[in-house]
Amino acid sequence: MNIIKDLYNYRELLKTNITKDIGGKYKHSFLGILWSFINPLLQITVYAFVFQVILKSNIENYAVYLCCGLIPWQYFSSVVLRGAAVMVDNGNIIKKVYFPREILPISLVSSEGVNFLISTVIILGFVIVSGIGLSQYALLYFLILPIQFIVSLGVAFIASSITVYFRDLQHILGILMQLLFYATPIVYSMDSVPGNFRWLLKLNPMSYLIDGYRSIFYNKTLPSFNGLGRALIMGIFLCVIGYFIFKKLEKRFAEEL
Amino acid sequence: MQNDNEDRIIVENVYKTFNIYFDKANSLKEKMLFWKRNRKETREILKGINLTVKNGEAVALIGVNGSGKSTLLKLMTKIIYPNKGKITTNGKLTSLLELGAGFHPDFSGRENIYFNASIFGLTRKEIDERIDKIIEFSELGNYIDNPVRTYSSGMYMRLAFAVAINVDADILLIDEILAVGDQHFQDKCIAKMKQLKNEGKTMVFVTHSMDTVKQFCSRAVWLCNGEIKMDGDPNIVTQEYLKETA
Repeated sequence: MNIIKDLYNYRELLKTNITKDIGGKYKHSFLGILWSFINPLLQITVYAFVFQVILKSNIENYAVYLCCGLIPWQYFSSVVLRGAAVMVDNGNIIKKVYFPREILPISLVSSEGVNFLISTVIILGFVIVSGIGLSQYALLYFLILPIQFIVSLGVAFIASSITVYFRDLQHILGILMQLLFYATPIVYSMDSVPGNFRWLLKLNPMSYLIDGYRSIFYNKTLPSFNGLGRALIMGIFLCVIGYFIFKKLEKRFAEEL
Repeated sequence: MQNDNEDRIIVENVYKTFNIYFDKANSLKEKMLFWKRNRKETREILKGINLTVKNGEAVALIGVNGSGKSTLLKLMTKIIYPNKGKITTNGKLTSLLELGAGFHPDFSGRENIYFNASIFGLTRKEIDERIDKIIEFSELGNYIDNPVRTYSSGMYMRLAFAVAINVDADILLIDEILAVGDQHFQDKCIAKMKQLKNEGKTMVFVTHSMDTVKQFCSRAVWLCNGEIKMDGDPNIVTQEYLKETA
């Protein structure tokens, strides 16, 4: 349990890293934090147009439906893509100072988590404006978010450490995430997937999480605890495996960077 | 300090080899397409180093370029790991391998103090307690709230040294950094390090300045081709070293 002690000793680094990441992101941009809203709003508009107007999806309040999936997906996707770059980007510190390397992926997942919390305002805006409204189930958000954190952290451990050795993993992941986007029920619903393909979605922890967000915000019902439990188990599994890989590969980071 | 006779750094039979790639396949694509390409040569940098540094010692590592001094120092800080053998350190450790690693150019000197000190493992409270001392030592005065990118290289170095020296570590590892800065600041750094030495801190240096070794260190270790050639009184070791390399 050295990691807990290490993280406690270096809590200030973790904190400054997270605030620097959140603050630094928009420091030099004209619209600042508004970018967190413009980007997903634009995407929702495009997808809603394509799937509702052109492809005539029969899902009610499609924009809201989409939004509940897209915003959490963006959290996941930016963790994976930025996670792949986090070690390489911080190469000059890694080569010169000792600090627990886990800090980098952990602070990335945390700062992106804060961004996600901010973007959740968009989901709230959509459900309120569309007339769906909020129910007490929305509070379960704070149950689903930690599960997503765990899943993201596991993936971030793996992506960040392997990319040090294989730099083009960054590009491969870019393509992979695009495929995974369509292999997750974001623009469509789980029920519309033919039975013989459904197993594919069931292997993906993000399916359960997005389904959970959708239940509490869009359907205003209890989420499937069975599904969330599965996502949690997958997340813990990813974290354990990921941390193991990370620890194994970390020893040569300074030499490979 | 409770146990003054404690060993601070124990290096046991450490081997370190580096792979020198002539033409490195850095990506998956290259690894798959040109799997024959990975010609590499292993170079043994350290060959069975045994070294124990006691509390309060100031040890100088000397040797020609490429003899493994910096590698040994990096191993002690846990930036890299040995292929064989074991390194144990007791107590809080700070390394000054390169000053100002991790400074963010857009943030002010003051913000960078917080960031840099946190890399060394200080908490906010500890930094708050030291901030005045650090700013005073750096002699940056009003410039402290300007972004670091506007600093001259001397100012940059002064700020970085001020942070590192005020961390209050038990063990300081220093790699040839004293050669920078003007005479006045160099003297100040030496004086500060003497003070730390008197306070019983443990130090390990890499240096090429034999004067510093003789003036300052209680022990000198001469590395030659990855092995310890001589270890002992700084006057005798430097004399032999100069004889050999002259």
